[in-house]
Amino acid sequence: MTTGLPVSTILLITGFCLALIGLWGMLTHRNIMRIIIGFALIDTGLHIVMVATGYITGGTAPIIDRALTTAAATERAIDPIPSALVVTAIVIGFSVTAVMLGFAIRLYAARKTLSIDAFTESKW
Amino acid sequence: MVASLFHPLNIFLLGLGGGFVIPLLYRLGKAWLHAGFWLALAGIVAVSGVSLFDVYRSGTPIEVLTAGFAPPLSINLRFGLWEGFFAVPVGLVAMLGALHLWDRLKGNYGALLLYLILVMGIDGMVMTRDLFNLFVFLEIVSIATYGLLALDRTPAAIAAAFKFIMATVIASTFLLLGTVLLYYVTGTLNIDTLIAERQQITGPIGATALLMVLGCLIIELKPFPANGWGLDVYETAPSGVASLVSVGVSAGVFFALVKLLPLFEAQLGLIAICGGITFLFSNLIGCTQTKVQRLLGYSSISQMGLMLLALALLTEIGASASIPLVVGGLFINHLLAKAGLFWLAGVLRQDDVEAHASLGGRPLLLGLLALFMVAIAGLPPFPGFWAKWELVMQLTGMGRLPWVALILAGSLLEAAYMFNWFVRALRPSDERAGEGPDLIALLPVYGVALLLVGAGYLAARMSGAGQAWLFAPLLVGLALYTLDRLPGRVEGVLTLVAVALAGGWLAWSAEGIAWLFAALLLAGSLVIAAAGLYRRDRRPGYYPMLAILLISIPALLRSSTSLEFFFSWEIITLASCFLIAKGRGAGPHVLTFLLFSLVSAFFLLAGFAGIAALSGTTSLSALVTSGPDATVAFVLLAVGFLIKAGAIGVHVWLPGAYAEADDDFTAMLSAVVSKVAMFGLLIGTYLATRSEVSIEMAHGMAWVGMLTTIAGALLALRQSDFKLLLAFSSMSQLGYIVTAIALMSHLGWVTALYLVANHMMVKGILFLAVAGIIWRTGTRDFAGTGGLARAMPVSFVLVAFAILSMSGLPPLMGFGGKWLLLSAMAEKGWTWLALAGLVATFLGFLYMIRLVAGLFLGVPPAGQARAREVPPTLIAPQLLLAAGILVLSLYPKLLMDPVSAAIDPQFAATLVWEGKSLYTIYGYWNPTPVMIAAVAAAAVLGIAAWLVYRGGAGRRTGSLSRFYGYYRSVLERSLPPVATGFWNGVTGATLAAAATVRLLYTGNGQTYALYVLVYFLALYAASLGPAGFWVGS
Repeated sequence: MTTGLPVSTILLITGFCLALIGLWGMLTHRNIMRIIIGFALIDTGLHIVMVATGYITGGTAPIIDRALTTAAATERAIDPIPSALVVTAIVIGFSVTAVMLGFAIRLYAARKTLSIDAFTESKW
Repeated sequence: MVASLFHPLNIFLLGLGGGFVIPLLYRLGKAWLHAGFWLALAGIVAVSGVSLFDVYRSGTPIEVLTAGFAPPLSINLRFGLWEGFFAVPVGLVAMLGALHLWDRLKGNYGALLLYLILVMGIDGMVMTRDLFNLFVFLEIVSIATYGLLALDRTPAAIAAAFKFIMATVIASTFLLLGTVLLYYVTGTLNIDTLIAERQQITGPIGATALLMVLGCLIIELKPFPANGWGLDVYETAPSGVASLVSVGVSAGVFFALVKLLPLFEAQLGLIAICGGITFLFSNLIGCTQTKVQRLLGYSSISQMGLMLLALALLTEIGASASIPLVVGGLFINHLLAKAGLFWLAGVLRQDDVEAHASLGGRPLLLGLLALFMVAIAGLPPFPGFWAKWELVMQLTGMGRLPWVALILAGSLLEAAYMFNWFVRALRPSDERAGEGPDLIALLPVYGVALLLVGAGYLAARMSGAGQAWLFAPLLVGLALYTLDRLPGRVEGVLTLVAVALAGGWLAWSAEGIAWLFAALLLAGSLVIAAAGLYRRDRRPGYYPMLAILLISIPALLRSSTSLEFFFSWEIITLASCFLIAKGRGAGPHVLTFLLFSLVSAFFLLAGFAGIAALSGTTSLSALVTSGPDATVAFVLLAVGFLIKAGAIGVHVWLPGAYAEADDDFTAMLSAVVSKVAMFGLLIGTYLATRSEVSIEMAHGMAWVGMLTTIAGALLALRQSDFKLLLAFSSMSQLGYIVTAIALMSHLGWVTALYLVANHMMVKGILFLAVAGIIWRTGTRDFAGTGGLARAMPVSFVLVAFAILSMSGLPPLMGFGGKWLLLSAMAEKGWTWLALAGLVATFLGFLYMIRLVAGLFLGVPPAGQARAREVPPTLIAPQLLLAAGILVLSLYPKLLMDPVSAAIDPQFAATLVWEGKSLYTIYGYWNPTPVMIAAVAAAAVLGIAAWLVYRGGAGRRTGSLSRFYGYYRSVLERSLPPVATGFWNGVTGATLAAAATVRLLYTGNGQTYALYVLVYFLALYAASLGPAGFWVGS
């Protein structure tokens, strides 16, 4: 690989941009489906950021075997913990998205519309 | 074996395992499903309960390691005292809540599953020591909540749930990102390691990460104004789910914050501000809310704000020893009382405070409602009371006075809207109350009520106020309540016996002036309470409450610390309030009475805290010994007592409460209960004897007293309702006592005590006589009375006797007191005050003549029913009081010697007084000349008034009633109701402010999500400053 931006930086930037796009979408789009998509984007962006934080330039997979001794692992292996966290976070994000979609179906059934502006009966 | 069965890790086994098994059990049948659910839920609670007991016994927390590794390699959990303190009550409330929600839960295995997972998740948030694990548990709790919110399928409920999800996913995103960034900076997720290596969390990434974690936790606690999503859910969710969100989920989040607090040392001030703003504004907006669950939502949010505030401030000032009592007390108070209120609202199916769902005919439900409201308002004997006391003491001690003011203001607003609901529930309803909720439905409500009472006692023990005598009034009241089904008179007699025994026992231990007051007031209250026996009807709840009130008075008088004093003071306030509420037309006046009483109590609280801060002790003896800096504390105390005394300007609560209470209870209020404030004023004034400034303040207080006397007399003259006239006459006479106390001389104080005794007996007779007249004639208006002297001769003689004593004319005991007051003022150089006293004397004569003439003289109005004399049950107590007046008139030494003895020891050292015994003083000061002068002045003024009247309206007919009618209209025209107008204005302004602020809550989920984001950015900016947004730094 040639020099330039390390892949983790690229991932970080991409992830944050994706999350910000998602946030923007969540706050500007009136359609509940788009709001949910916005959330999914935030989530995905953050997952990318998480993975990127564990990355070590030129590192290898953290599998300790003949190729990677325990001593070398602390220097050369990428940090496995963020990856493990990401797996959990993905599962959680998935279930939250599913719940949101479930509510979207019920909201549509109630009002025959998916505009968030139609659901303001309780206020003050 | 047993130890491993009750290992805390089993909480998760039961929660997750139960969750997985439930769908299988559902296939097996309903009975299996239900048994499995309850087994798992009860198991979770049992495990946490046994673990808490173990921890308590062994004193060491249980460390739970997972995966066979030690942290930080593995996730660890901890179950210590604090964890158990949060987990066990939440578990108990969750069990009772499942019972409450059972109709909705039982057919729906998904809901059962989510419920279990939710409870387990909360325990997880409480126990875990790993930051990412905390995030996972938060998400488990959130997802379970989302699922339970779907139980209600109305569009509003679904919409509210979606708003809730939108806001909370943004918040938990912050937590996730913050957690990962913290790991990036520190290389660990273990909370203990993070706290230990707090110093290494630096740089922009570390600071941002911390703020993200903090931001998530604060937002999850629904801070103002980023909390519309929470309110909507509280409003629309089923009551059982709303209560679980309010008390359970919030408890988990709050505990997470407690756990992580060492990380946020730099942000403590910010957290306190977030909590304070939330507490104040939620309570403000709550004032305009009438939907019950949303109202409870505002209250829930405000309580969380208060807990945040207390936690942050106590940590900041280093008072961590107080945190268990304050934060723990507030937490448990909110947990139990709010759950009870939500469930009660659910059981009653009451959506709106205004709804015509009267509880008037259901004393038990009303009692429960009152109990929870008293707890939420931070009144005794519940944990919130002890917590708030300690909080205010600590904050005052460290000079954080603006915070104290904020806490008290917010508490007042909260009490206002909560008790507004209560008062509306009190309204007597015309329609027959339908079938009430059954016992099963109320079981959970009773459960939390019991837990609340127990928690209150524990908190009292923690505050060092667990003595049995302090709780004697409540215990006696409770015992009498169990006999509430007895015939009214039997219960009345039992009450008298109980008051005599318990009150006598308490009064026995009082000392000095307090003993004198205790003996006097106890005797008076027994005699006046005996008069209540003239009513034959059953009075549900009346006698137990009366016993609480009457026994609390000697309890207050024997207090040796300000905490004990304040406790009894609040009990007296509450008992009076509930007794006033028994009156038919009392409704709107109950709230006014309660709010002014609370304002008064808050001034006292601040005053006592001020003294404790100066002297370092809560002992009441500090009142005598504290130094000259106590001026502020003195002013606070004096204002508090004056409000309760109905002083001018803050008297607006008095007429309604006095006039609309039951007739025999008004006698008690005026004769006995009002004297408690006088006692307070007396001991509070000790403070003022220390410095010159305070002496000047006392001069001001004397003016307040005199103006109260004059205003009370003028207002009395304005009335055509004779019970109201007497009410204002009470205000007027109390003004004299205030003036006498303000003289701050031996003579003034003896006069004050003399007036206290006199007023007690006089007003007892007058109000009881008036009760009889109202009973016999059915009217309270002078238009319906007159000429009763023939029909009710005994009452006539007694009223005339009492009026004579009140007027100060010889030979009865009133003679002396007032004239000595006038001459003492003149002696002191307070000439203007003495002149004002002359005017007051004149006005007093006027309304007294009006009372006697209007009731007993003249001709009976046409159509008046033939009145008869009242029965001996009502006459005998009046005769006893009259005998008391007579004895003290003939043998004044009986009162004066003990008074002198009681005042001397503390006083001789503090004030210049000429070393004479009181008797010689009374011999030395001859009241007769002053009296003759005053009466002459009054006569001149009277003749002038008559001439003016004759020159104006009374040219043709010169009857006495027209004379009064003429001046009544003159007074009505010339005295606009300034005070009432002012307080109405204050109320109106508050409500208008609330109505404006609440427009923030547009109901749009997207707007709420934006608020959440902006709130976080504001936190960020407030913590890191504008530079925080500069990427390049």
